[in-house]
Amino acid sequence: MNLKSTPHIASISRIALALLGFACISPALADDADGKILFQRNCAACHQVTGQGVPDVFPALAGNTFVQGSEKDVIGVVLNGRGGMPTFSKRLTDQELATILSYVRGAWGNHAANVSTGQVAAVRSDLHADTFDPSQQNIRH
Amino acid sequence: MQAFGNGMSRREFLYRVAAIGGSGLLLNTLDAWGSGIQSSVTTPPVLSGSGKGKSVVILGAGVAGMTAAFELEKLGYDCKLLEARSFAGGRCQTARRGFTIKEYGGEAQTCNFDEGLYINHGPWRIPYNHQSTLYYTRLFQVPLEIMVNDNDTAYIYLDGNGPLANHRIRKVEVKADMRGHVAELLAKAASSHMLDQELTEDDKHILLDYLVHEGNLTRGDLQYRGNSGRGYKVNPGAGIDPGQGIASDPLGFKEVLASRLWNVYSAVHEFQQQATMFQPIGGMDSIAKAFEKRVGKSIRYNSVVRSIRHRDNRVVIEVKDANNGTTSSITADFCLCTIPLSVLNSVDADFSPTFKDALKKVSYGPAGKIGLQMKRRFWEEDDFIYGGHVQTNFPGIGAISLPSTGWQSRKGVLLGYYNFESEAAEISAKSLQERIDFALSAGEKIFPAYRESFESGFSVAWHRVPYNLGAWAEWSDDARKTAYPIAYEGEGRVLLAGEHMSYLPGWQAGAIESSWQQIAKIHQRLSL
Repeated sequence: MNLKSTPHIASISRIALALLGFACISPALADDADGKILFQRNCAACHQVTGQGVPDVFPALAGNTFVQGSEKDVIGVVLNGRGGMPTFSKRLTDQELATILSYVRGAWGNHAANVSTGQVAAVRSDLHADTFDPSQQNIRH
Repeated sequence: MQAFGNGMSRREFLYRVAAIGGSGLLLNTLDAWGSGIQSSVTTPPVLSGSGKGKSVVILGAGVAGMTAAFELEKLGYDCKLLEARSFAGGRCQTARRGFTIKEYGGEAQTCNFDEGLYINHGPWRIPYNHQSTLYYTRLFQVPLEIMVNDNDTAYIYLDGNGPLANHRIRKVEVKADMRGHVAELLAKAASSHMLDQELTEDDKHILLDYLVHEGNLTRGDLQYRGNSGRGYKVNPGAGIDPGQGIASDPLGFKEVLASRLWNVYSAVHEFQQQATMFQPIGGMDSIAKAFEKRVGKSIRYNSVVRSIRHRDNRVVIEVKDANNGTTSSITADFCLCTIPLSVLNSVDADFSPTFKDALKKVSYGPAGKIGLQMKRRFWEEDDFIYGGHVQTNFPGIGAISLPSTGWQSRKGVLLGYYNFESEAAEISAKSLQERIDFALSAGEKIFPAYRESFESGFSVAWHRVPYNLGAWAEWSDDARKTAYPIAYEGEGRVLLAGEHMSYLPGWQAGAIESSWQQIAKIHQRLSL
């Protein structure tokens, strides 16, 4: 069972921030924290927490022109995967994907526009990508 | 095996066709039977003619690559296998004492299990219907043992707040009770004429007979009151006490329904998940070693492919020595490339943009496993579970699988998690110690002796393993239609083989059958 629904993540980040002594959280800060947590959970194993990737294997996202380019292309790669990159279409909601991509496009000195949930939904539909499916994956191999 | 006309088997028929018309005719025959891409053939292609004086360079000495070399060398082809690692087998690996792995972004791990213990961190089971894999284990006399893939007494454990959560339920209890309750419901509906539109009176009697039998219902009132097969509260034994034992109470119908247990457990498995599975005794890499024994002399180890070029009707492969960095090149009449597409995408090849784009349409699935050495086989000693999978809903655990070898010995290595997709990505960001802690925290909820019995761990996250970059190919439905056929055709004098070029992705059978298909095409091309 996938427990990565946005409310769940949001509650974790709120608890984490509360523990760090933040008495109140502005919406922007919450989004950013959610994005960072979602990035660390789903992306950092390969692209690294620093966004620097691993040379010749996992592309650096920091300073990456593709990442900061067309929203549509970036969303497409995360939805459908490419090469060694897995598909995230079934495992992350449109909102989670938008939150992650907005974080990636603004972290480590990147400065591209945020990605909206609506943009992700539109690309998901255009590319006929799989819909979000939180059901348990049985072992298959 | 499909039989033909006058008792001739399909294989015999193929032999005769090949004898009369050569391999070209054989391929046409195979296509005519529609056994192209989706075939599940049981033996290698029957190829006539000779490969003498012709050369094939094979990229990757995994199961696909070594299958090709073994079959082509029988025909007299001069094969050269280029392998990036210092050992053959590709993903067909077994971690035992001294085995090392270093993931990208991870620490160097050395397996520290006791002598004789191991984990198959790559492929780990062979379903009975994967006859292509079993063809070679039989031919090479690789000793097999049963891999217990379906054990009714293994636990299901739901973590959380729902019905049936946080206690261990044996699968057989769920199986017996769901069948019992559903049978009762249906039997009562049938006997109170609610199904009269669907059933004749005779049908109804037969159905009731079946349901009484299937659900273990009381014949008179059609009630399900439990089933000895689901286990006892106190098992029957000798004398008066325990004597006849004490029957167990079935789980409530509504409770089982509300628990949605079928999310982690279902009684009938998909095609690959058969109850009868095998594993080589001593580790899956016995298969790799059996191939290596036969084709090892043609393998150049530590040879990392840098570029693929077509030149004067030949193929030129440039390789870099993984140890000293020197480069050299190998020229051959044809190339069979078994490198995972996730890795091939960054090899400098003179493929057309169309072909390169097709190769990029696949994505590779992340997957992670961890082997945990336990100093005591508590699952056997305390819980009477011999092999099989404990299924849970813990995110990132997937299944805890108990070893189908070394029964009743002192120690054992169990599979502490087997995760996929984003869960695998998440867990793989942890260090080995963190991965171990994560696995132990889940396992100890199910088995009280789990943490205290732990001795040593070894883990892999395939998407971070050099020369693999992923556990298996995942083609979307769309890419299967558009890109896969292009990749399957190959380009110039290069054909692709491997699990990624099959509809059995992530299985050794996919690698073998894909290799069989492509070498037949190579032989045909070079026989023109």
